[in-house]
Amino acid sequence: MKTLNFCNHGLQICKEGVLFWLEREIAIVSDLHLEKGSSYASSGQYIPPYDSEETLLKLLDILNKYKVRKVILLGDTFHDKDAFLRMTPKVRFLFKDFTKKYEVIFILGNHENKIKIEGIKFHQEYIVDNIHFLHEAIKKDINQISGHFHPVASIKVSSKKITSKCLIHSNNHIILPSFGEFTGGLNINDPALKPFISEDYNIYFLTKKSIYKFSNKEIESQY
Amino acid sequence: MSENLKLQPIQNWLKKNNWFFYDHQLDTLNQSINGHDILLIAPTGGGKTLAGFLPSLHDLINNKFPDNKLHTLYISPLKALTIDVHRNLTNPIEDQKLDIKVETRTGDTSSYKKTRQKEVPPHMLMTTPESLALLLADTQAKEYFKFLRYLIIDEIHSLVNSKRGDLLSLNLSRLNNISPNCKRIGLSATIKNKKSTLNFLSQKKKSKIINIREKSSPKIEILETENRVPWSGHMAGYAIPDIYKKIKLSSMTILFVNTRAQAELVFNKLWQENENNLKIAIHHGSLQKEIRRKVENLMSLGKLDCVVATSSLDLGIDWGKVDLVVQIGSPKGIARFLQRIGRSNHRFDEPSEALLVPSNRFEYLECISTIASIKANLLDEVKDKEGSLDVLAQHILGVACSNPFQIDDFFLEIKKAWPFRNLKKQTFLDVLEFVRNGGYSLKHYEQYAKIGINKNNFYAIKNKNIRNRYRLNVGTIVESYMLKVKLGNRTLGQVEEWFIEGLNEGDTFLFSGRVLEYQSITNNNIIVRSTNSTHPKIPSYAGGRLPLTSELSFQVRKLISKKEYWKHFPNQISDWLKLQNKFSGLPSVEGLLVETFPRHIKNKKRYFLICYTFEGRNANQTLGFLISKKMQRMGYKPISFVATDYALAIWSMIEVEDINIILNEDIMLDDLYEWLEETPLLKKNFRDAAIISGLIERTIPGRKKTGKQVMFSSDLIFDVLKKHEPNHILLQVARNDSYRGLIDLDRLGDFLKRIKNNIIHKRLDRISPLAVPLVLEINRQTIDKSEVDEYFLEELESEILTEVGLN
Repeated sequence: MKTLNFCNHGLQICKEGVLFWLEREIAIVSDLHLEKGSSYASSGQYIPPYDSEETLLKLLDILNKYKVRKVILLGDTFHDKDAFLRMTPKVRFLFKDFTKKYEVIFILGNHENKIKIEGIKFHQEYIVDNIHFLHEAIKKDINQISGHFHPVASIKVSSKKITSKCLIHSNNHIILPSFGEFTGGLNINDPALKPFISEDYNIYFLTKKSIYKFSNKEIESQY
Repeated sequence: MSENLKLQPIQNWLKKNNWFFYDHQLDTLNQSINGHDILLIAPTGGGKTLAGFLPSLHDLINNKFPDNKLHTLYISPLKALTIDVHRNLTNPIEDQKLDIKVETRTGDTSSYKKTRQKEVPPHMLMTTPESLALLLADTQAKEYFKFLRYLIIDEIHSLVNSKRGDLLSLNLSRLNNISPNCKRIGLSATIKNKKSTLNFLSQKKKSKIINIREKSSPKIEILETENRVPWSGHMAGYAIPDIYKKIKLSSMTILFVNTRAQAELVFNKLWQENENNLKIAIHHGSLQKEIRRKVENLMSLGKLDCVVATSSLDLGIDWGKVDLVVQIGSPKGIARFLQRIGRSNHRFDEPSEALLVPSNRFEYLECISTIASIKANLLDEVKDKEGSLDVLAQHILGVACSNPFQIDDFFLEIKKAWPFRNLKKQTFLDVLEFVRNGGYSLKHYEQYAKIGINKNNFYAIKNKNIRNRYRLNVGTIVESYMLKVKLGNRTLGQVEEWFIEGLNEGDTFLFSGRVLEYQSITNNNIIVRSTNSTHPKIPSYAGGRLPLTSELSFQVRKLISKKEYWKHFPNQISDWLKLQNKFSGLPSVEGLLVETFPRHIKNKKRYFLICYTFEGRNANQTLGFLISKKMQRMGYKPISFVATDYALAIWSMIEVEDINIILNEDIMLDDLYEWLEETPLLKKNFRDAAIISGLIERTIPGRKKTGKQVMFSSDLIFDVLKKHEPNHILLQVARNDSYRGLIDLDRLGDFLKRIKNNIIHKRLDRISPLAVPLVLEINRQTIDKSEVDEYFLEELESEILTEVGLN
């Protein structure tokens, strides 16, 4: 875990990409993309149907380690509107278990257009203590924590590039990496991200074993 | 020629050109008329192609055959070869005004022409294994091939024992059911495993091998030079002036290199030398096909002085006027080199001439060994390979696209394909389930199955969309994602995506024989402009480097260890070995020489460990994996290693003290299989298998995945599958391919036993002469990537902390 200071609150990020606000017993996680694997099956690409199980087990395992009451899912929890229907009984059981154990806040993501699941309410945004929880960042000077972009960074060391998921912290913006098992990534230098990041920012670079903090200057000087 | 053969038109044409039939050509014809399938093994330049077509021509000239039906199918491994053979066959046909239509059909053929060929087939069609697979996946395939009388497979030796060969063999078996009376002729260069090649070709009892020996042995020399042969590198820059002189003296030269990068560099250097304005061209697989065709045309017209080429030119193509073949770099195999030499003096009864140009000192020793092996008639050993299941998966879908099948009949048909002769019924059923719905034990995708079963137990695809997608994904060659290189409106060719990733705007690189400046990427095209820069980067292409055969590795080892051989070497080579002897020591025949020394890489101190095993690249690579695993466990932080045919070099952040522990036999037992599960090679092979088998599609109509996306998702799938279905069919394929490509376990075990208590460890303060080529090798293997990444990140982080005064 590494601590970052966000709007005078101490938040902590774990190497798997879950952000904790332990003071409030809140965990924040983004872009689970449940049932992404099975979404290809109807077109004849039989990607292994085990990604949701992996994602949920990993999440439950991490949440278990800390005192958490509320979980805010920053959208694209489901890969598409029919994802819930495709879940295997085992995955559905895990999912129910998860929603029973925690107060889960669902933010609506762009993948969840027209989604309807009994007993689940999707929010456009959710606010705690003047911090806005959103799926996609907005160009407004408000304190916001969002997901959507699946940010990854490439760090050049000893003439080779290491690419991994990362959290972006830019003043009063945080963009979380995707958590889902089968999710890809968008490089932090991509123009699509530019409007939401200020000139100076830090990234928390997440690897299998650890978390590394770099400023954008440190990354740029690599090139 | 015997009376009952009527070949007047062909004979007339031969006479006109002052040519005559060779015995083996008539022999092939007679045996074929007698109903035999024939494998003709002959050295290049022996009139093989004509021999292959003779039975078919004889039949068309003398017997009635319905118009607009396919009579003869010719299959070659190379598109260029189909075009060349088409050209050569058209000559006598046009000259004698024969009513025989001959056409080619490859990936390059226009869709208009393809459609026309389906409706109105020519008498003879020249195609590749992939295009054949596509033709057979058509619903009209049975009708199309029903009348087929002759099937010719050219350069068959290059297809057997490969995934391409697996695909071809399955389709041959299919053709055997559609047109059982079709006669087959396989054409092959000199090979060791003749019997299994015949079995691959023919499913008939009546089959024969006709084996023609070379009449005179080739004349091969190593380039004599005043210049210094470098210790390392593969570019042979030192030899260019000498090679240029040889080109000037001969009328047409083919200059073979082993990689496309070499081709670009050598070509560039030759032009810098080209004061006489000789016509020198370049030919390799990344160039745009129009550019390649132009070069091939100019060659056959004799309008070029020299062509720099990769293996894109080394199969079968008949360039009559070539009188010198130059091989830059060791040819890495005897059979391959003989094939290349055969490009010169394409006349059966004259000896071929060739010049070998080693690009570094180890290769010099290799070249000497190659010549010795050819004199002794040694041939490379090829192990028979079992048919790959990913290819079978692709084939099953192809057949389902063409016609509904029943399981038992289809299984029998597959078993008749030689590489699949040992296939078990259960394995076949597993692959079938995989194709239908992914084959997961969790029967989750049954509702989306591609292949349905009707009430008579026939299997067929569910809709024609599946056929369209199959068509876009056929083939067994998985290449890196390529981007087009555009100079103005002209497309020069393609380079791998990852090469361009390393470039910044304004960087220059060599391509298509020009120095180009990289400007931008637009719509997946690389936009470049011409420049006169003198320090371009070279695109280094994946692949192309062939492992040295064990036969040659052993020869080299003998040469180095015995000083009495050295007197035959040029001074600079023997001086090199003498220097090594003085500075460190010589590798011995029975024991193992190990050297350790520190060395800086980018200002960071690293510790090198070199083992001169001479056990071949595969064994060295496995050894490298095992040793680095052990070093990781012992905390030496190994970073990377290089495995060549001769030696293994590993470098680490911390110095290894006790070599005997590292090289103990127990590294074989410890965690070999567990560890092999983590090799990058396994992931790469899994990715290939996932694409070949259709789990991941290469192309989806209207959208092309970039190479990176495929790479990314296949790695994720690999991890999930390993955890949930460790025996999934695709994991089996990836493991088999990796074991075949990577391990030489028996050899490695014997080696470790042999060197026990027989290790000579030289602790040096700097690099030894023999180690220089290894340390400078470019083809580095990364050890368990995530592990090494962590070392680098730790190092970087501590550097940053030191910089800001926190460490």
